[in-house]
Amino acid sequence: MEKKEVMIDVEHVSMKFNLGIEKGFSLKQWFVDIGKHKKQEKKDFWALSDVDFQVRKSEVVGFIGSNGAGKSTLLKIIAGVMKPTKGSIKSYGNICPMIELGAGFDPQLTARENIYLNGAVMGYSKELIDSKFDEIVEFSELQDFLNVPVQNFSSGMVARLAFSIATIVNPEILIVDEILAVGDVAFQTKSEAKMLNMITGGTTVLFVSHSTEQIKKMCDRVVWIEHGVVQKIGGKEVCDEYLEFMKTKV
Amino acid sequence: MSFIHNIKYSFQKYGFLIEQLVSRDFKVKYKRSVLGVFWSLLYPILMMTVMAIVFSNVFKFSTPGVNYLVYLLTGLTFFNYFSEASNLAMSSVVANFSLINKVYIPKYIFPLSKCLFVGINLLLTLIPLYIMIFVTGTGINIYHILLPYSLICLFLFTVGMGFILSTISVFLRDMFYIYGIIITIWTYLTPIMYDISVISPKLQIVLKCNPLYHYIEFARTIILYHQCPGISQFLICGGSALGFLIIGMIVFKKKQDKFIYYV
Repeated sequence: MEKKEVMIDVEHVSMKFNLGIEKGFSLKQWFVDIGKHKKQEKKDFWALSDVDFQVRKSEVVGFIGSNGAGKSTLLKIIAGVMKPTKGSIKSYGNICPMIELGAGFDPQLTARENIYLNGAVMGYSKELIDSKFDEIVEFSELQDFLNVPVQNFSSGMVARLAFSIATIVNPEILIVDEILAVGDVAFQTKSEAKMLNMITGGTTVLFVSHSTEQIKKMCDRVVWIEHGVVQKIGGKEVCDEYLEFMKTKV
Repeated sequence: MSFIHNIKYSFQKYGFLIEQLVSRDFKVKYKRSVLGVFWSLLYPILMMTVMAIVFSNVFKFSTPGVNYLVYLLTGLTFFNYFSEASNLAMSSVVANFSLINKVYIPKYIFPLSKCLFVGINLLLTLIPLYIMIFVTGTGINIYHILLPYSLICLFLFTVGMGFILSTISVFLRDMFYIYGIIITIWTYLTPIMYDISVISPKLQIVLKCNPLYHYIEFARTIILYHQCPGISQFLICGGSALGFLIIGMIVFKKKQDKFIYYV
């Protein structure tokens, strides 16, 4: 089997959070603590420890694991949102992170204005949005609501708009964090088809989901993370092992 | 050279985002207000009127030889820009945490876009200033072409302060309250409604450490005294602006990777 070029190289990545960190420093808390001669204990929490793998071109990699296992943290590090405490990540290609859609929306602006604003946040150029504008509107089926402020939208409509904006480009690396269940049944089918289309188009995909069905259907490789440690990397059979493991926890 | 190249590259890449953020702020600011953008013109005039009534009638402040209204409005235009922009820039990083946590965007964009947004407002408030210059018969002169220099210095200084303040406020949320007090003290330490000569010479030295004083003085030299600002005025203004900008950039750059832990 010929080895395809490496798109993402995750090298011994560890990520430490300090749970002792309060939001800033509060004088009130300082006065409360002043009597206690206890030094604030450091609660180090390793969200990821020594994660090491590579993703090759046009591979679809699924990530599974319990809540708080570190899946989203890993994707955020790959997307460049966070810097790892140890180790390094190299990625070769432009990344489209669909981590939480609609993050850049301003509720007071209309759908039309938000398409440009959110597009800019996602790193699109003005020309790109201009040329894809109709396509975005058509896919989201929100033609009649273009001049309505997004705060008057239902959450399903917001999600549809966000999905349509996010999937308009053909990125080399696509990071998806459980967003396939968007909108009503009809739109879910449509969006899943679009995702599959992007994936088969040769995009490298990193995909987090709690649905092992989805993972099995879409992914070539599966990475199982538990407590920040990679338990297993392998084919679809990892999903079954994961399910077995989850049964023991119930 | 590579530094300048980097800046050029960033502006190409993120120029559109900055443009969108500024236009977002602008649209949101005047949405649902009846007078809309006219508030930008009306507000400084109303402020000036109130302060003129209080300070020239009640406290009998005056500026011999020059028009007090124009004197006041020049100071207000500059100081209001600084006060509003630095306040917005300070909260910009904290307010956009949800975004910073999800997508990679250079974080300096948030304070910078706020300073630019209020900058548009500043340009609008120049309209009432020039109206007053004509109405009071102060008149213009050739040196007015040098006025943008003081505005640029004011902008760079504010961006630098914005970087410093937004960094502090991430780690110390009390800064929002503390800065409210600081701005009030700063208002009185800047000769906006009084002339610096009424102050004792010792205190004058303290006041002259305030960069805002020099930017306002630069503008007043031109607008009120019809003179060309001296070389030393150019140097102090430019030096302090660049100095604060560089300090701000260093502080921000050093701490920005830690922001994410304080979300």
